[in-house]
Amino acid sequence: MHSINVTPSLLLSTRSRRRRRLTAALGRALLFGVTAVSAGAVILIIGFIVRDAAPFVRLCGVREFFCSTQWYPAGTPAAFGALAIFYGTALVTVSAALIAVPVGIAAAVCLSEMLPFGARQAVKPVVEILAAIPSVVYGFFALVVVAPLLQTHGKYLLAGLVVIVGIPLGGGVVLLTGTLLGRGAARRRGAPTWLLGGMAAVVAALLLAAIWQCLQVQVDSGTNALNVAMILAIMALPTIVSVAEDALQAVGRDLREGSYALGASRAQTTLHVVLPAAASGLIAAIILGVMRAVGETMVVWMASGNAAQIPAPWFNLMAPVRTLTATIAGDMGEADQVTGSARYHVLFFMALCLLLIALICNIVSELVIWRKHKALG
Amino acid sequence: MPSASPFLNVAFRAHDAAPTPVQIAACGFSVFYGAHEAVRNATLAMHTRKVTAIIGPSGCGKSTFLRAINRMNDLIPTCRAAGGLQVEGHDVYSPMTDVVALRQRMGMVFQKPNPFPKSIYDNVAYGPRVRGTTRRGALDALVQRSLERAALWPEVKDRLRDNALRLSGGQQQRLCIARALATEPHVLLMDEPTSALDPRATARIEDLIDTLRATLTIVIVTHNMQQAARVSDYTAFFYEGLLVEYGPTIDIFSRPREQQTEAYITGRFG
Amino acid sequence: MTPGTRFIERLFTAACYGALAVMVAALLLLLVPIFVKGMGALVFHGTVEYRRMRHELFDRGDGAQLAREQAQMQRAAQPMYAMLAEFEAALPTNPPAVRATQAAALRDLQQRLRVLLGPLPGEPQPALPRSQYGQTRWDRAQVKLHEVLYAEVWDYSNPDTMGQKMEVPRQEQFAGTALAPLFPFLQQHTRAILQPRLTCYWRFFTDASRDAHFFGGIKPELVGTLYLTLGAVLLAVPFGVLSAIYLVEFARDGLLVRVLRMCMNTLAGVPSIVFGLFGLACFINTMHVSPSKSVLAGSLTLALLILPTIIRAAEEALRAVPMTYREAAISLGATPWYAVISTVVPAALPGILTGVVISMGRAAGETAPIIFTAAVSVGQTLRIWDVLTQPTPVLSWNIYNVATEHEAVDEIRHVQFGMVLALVALVLLLNGAAIILRARMARALKG
Repeated sequence: MHSINVTPSLLLSTRSRRRRRLTAALGRALLFGVTAVSAGAVILIIGFIVRDAAPFVRLCGVREFFCSTQWYPAGTPAAFGALAIFYGTALVTVSAALIAVPVGIAAAVCLSEMLPFGARQAVKPVVEILAAIPSVVYGFFALVVVAPLLQTHGKYLLAGLVVIVGIPLGGGVVLLTGTLLGRGAARRRGAPTWLLGGMAAVVAALLLAAIWQCLQVQVDSGTNALNVAMILAIMALPTIVSVAEDALQAVGRDLREGSYALGASRAQTTLHVVLPAAASGLIAAIILGVMRAVGETMVVWMASGNAAQIPAPWFNLMAPVRTLTATIAGDMGEADQVTGSARYHVLFFMALCLLLIALICNIVSELVIWRKHKALG
Repeated sequence: MPSASPFLNVAFRAHDAAPTPVQIAACGFSVFYGAHEAVRNATLAMHTRKVTAIIGPSGCGKSTFLRAINRMNDLIPTCRAAGGLQVEGHDVYSPMTDVVALRQRMGMVFQKPNPFPKSIYDNVAYGPRVRGTTRRGALDALVQRSLERAALWPEVKDRLRDNALRLSGGQQQRLCIARALATEPHVLLMDEPTSALDPRATARIEDLIDTLRATLTIVIVTHNMQQAARVSDYTAFFYEGLLVEYGPTIDIFSRPREQQTEAYITGRFG
Repeated sequence: MTPGTRFIERLFTAACYGALAVMVAALLLLLVPIFVKGMGALVFHGTVEYRRMRHELFDRGDGAQLAREQAQMQRAAQPMYAMLAEFEAALPTNPPAVRATQAAALRDLQQRLRVLLGPLPGEPQPALPRSQYGQTRWDRAQVKLHEVLYAEVWDYSNPDTMGQKMEVPRQEQFAGTALAPLFPFLQQHTRAILQPRLTCYWRFFTDASRDAHFFGGIKPELVGTLYLTLGAVLLAVPFGVLSAIYLVEFARDGLLVRVLRMCMNTLAGVPSIVFGLFGLACFINTMHVSPSKSVLAGSLTLALLILPTIIRAAEEALRAVPMTYREAAISLGATPWYAVISTVVPAALPGILTGVVISMGRAAGETAPIIFTAAVSVGQTLRIWDVLTQPTPVLSWNIYNVATEHEAVDEIRHVQFGMVLALVALVLLLNGAAIILRARMARALKG
């Protein structure tokens, strides 16, 4: 191998090489620092909340907090039993999820599996706008529009809600049992029409009974758990729909086409092939939706009635309740004056509980997705 | 004097295998992706102001070899090189190498036309600006000369401020060539530059290569054996990371020494 | 297909379309009242009292015209005032037992009339602007007219239930007296007295409020929202974009990056009220960035809140830039740094901007994080140099405030809806801008 003239300009002097390496390293370090600060903010948040929550544990202990329903932070002696508040949070969250999950997943299936491309593009902004509307607007709507409606026509609204939730839920039950039982029957030829009809009749009867029960309910105040649950459900819908739709879209065409090629109908394909394949994404969608409902402040503060009590009977959605977020928002205005007291620190302890719930939700959803990835290899 | 290949129905345009000084020399040169050896122990010398074609089936390491010449593989974290590779007598992988100067010494043209979403002028002026040329007059002259060398000047001289993405595919590729020429390189590395173009645009690029060979060393990776035969003076055939055969194009396409080469150019595999 | 599967198929399809319909219906049910009633703050039938208020408080409108209208109001209401005077004069002549109840009824009636029409002739000017004027809006005037015509009476006759509210025509209370004809007269002549006219109040957005939102507009709230939003974006964008650049262009996959990503996901899931508490504990009580609540503290808190959104959007935008741009730049001798700054970031800019605009909408609408850090319910429009130390009225917080804690929630529904409309319009405009940007980005990358 022979070489021609050596061109010195391709050589780098030691000094400029060092300088170049130094600037690159500095630049990387700077960017890494900025990123670390952005990500470290969450540690800062946890740190500050823990710092201000700790005095409460020292002052009052946590036994009363978790076991008593007596919430009189301004009384003498003060009582810090938050059990009813936890229950209120759970009640509105679970009822909101009961409304939002079936509706959200059914809507996502409709968007992803049924609507043509153009119609889907037209519906997508609906989801985006629902997600963009500020929570205080939802709260205002709950307080000014929904609450008076509930007060005067509460039972009809409740009945309507049972219909909205019950039809997809009951339809799902009929479909599932029908197809499960039908699998055996199909081998002996002839689908079990009578069986499906019977199932549908039973579900319909149950629905009618529930509606009848609803129409007997006495409504004292429009600001109650049901109001909040409905609005929270609407607020959780866009999260659930968009994440669930992404999960459904991620299911490959080949899987669907394979099912159709075997002669399966759209409902069968969706229920037996697409939904199970997208299960992890759907669970993530539900968790994210629930997180949105748990962390919401303004709606529950404005429209839940803010009564720290466990409703009687325990499932009475027409009773006012109180949640963690609303308690923090509502009580801090007064507790702010007495920084250092248990009244002030108990709110930070509540915030810590909220943080823990959010953290657990996050970890669970990441685990679900991670396991899915691992299963796929 | 044009001669015919017994295997390919193509007229050789390259006539001149007369040796000129060596511009790029590889000696026992290998490239690894992690543990996988993509180029194995290649040894060859590419000559100044000649067109060298690199052919071979997909995944044979030809693109990897091309991108090793101007150290584009540095972008891939798991990639490393071993053995000797010299450009103008300078060791490319030496720690003393000025990579920036090296890359400016070698223009590169990619498979798909990839002009920046900027104006035509800004695309061509990108390289000189990187080098620190900011004087308006010098830039203008450089842009014009580069576009003229890439045979694009007449088509775009009135619309230099237009977005480059508005050009047709063939024009975009010639713009990319102009952009590469603007750093006044000694070598032009072309990675399947016509694979995304229609036959007419391909022909214009090939004409351009024919013009540029007077002033530049050109290394072109191509899938298309007719193209290799048409435009190149030397051809290297890679197979599974190994340099199977290297020599004057006329020899490779009319009397290949290796069995594999013959099988490939006659279309028995690849 | 057997009848059974066909039945399932139909049921399934109906359920899915139904769910989608529920979602669309929810949006419409939410937006339509907000837009319709929100417009009521801007376009309404204003009475002569409105025009007097506008002239006296805001120095707008034609004074001579106003004087003519007030004279007409005087003329139209004169017979009514005469009846009142006659009744009052006759009061001492009645037997004492009747006198007490009649005097009480008269006081109640006079109070209702003051609310409807403003101070009665010959009375001194009240101190608060809200009692200096009668009803300024025709829709409210009709409600108040109803209260003049009907008295509220509680019926406790059934001991088993709560007392029932009943409405009794006031005419019956004054039957046989000089005031009996007042009620049919007033009912007939309210329009002539108050002279409602279609009014556009576009300055709702640029007027400060007078007397705790009884009159005037929402400028301080709008300006406060603007300050907080811009502040949050200015603080969050550099960090967000640089973090995204690091994660996409320079970070190598590893434990460290995975930890960073986990932190960011957690940050995105922190409830907004916790951000508020953190802002209070960190920025105000510990770092003392300002003596108490301030726009700065609020912006810092909101910046943390929108940081994950911005990072995620910027990451997505940067990843969407084709690898070949980077390769081309590197092959021309650019350093990785210069390649990113000169080619990748400009190509990703519309996408990054989309994320920024969407997070602006989020910051503008958030309430919980600013309750303890930046928002006050009453205040003047903040000047720009006060943002470092002063709190400000904010649209989102004041919607809560005037809807729940205001002393006359029912009287100022139109202001509440106007505020909600302003906030929704602001957020929707920002989101619309984001959608347009996204479309432009898609076009630009396609070429």
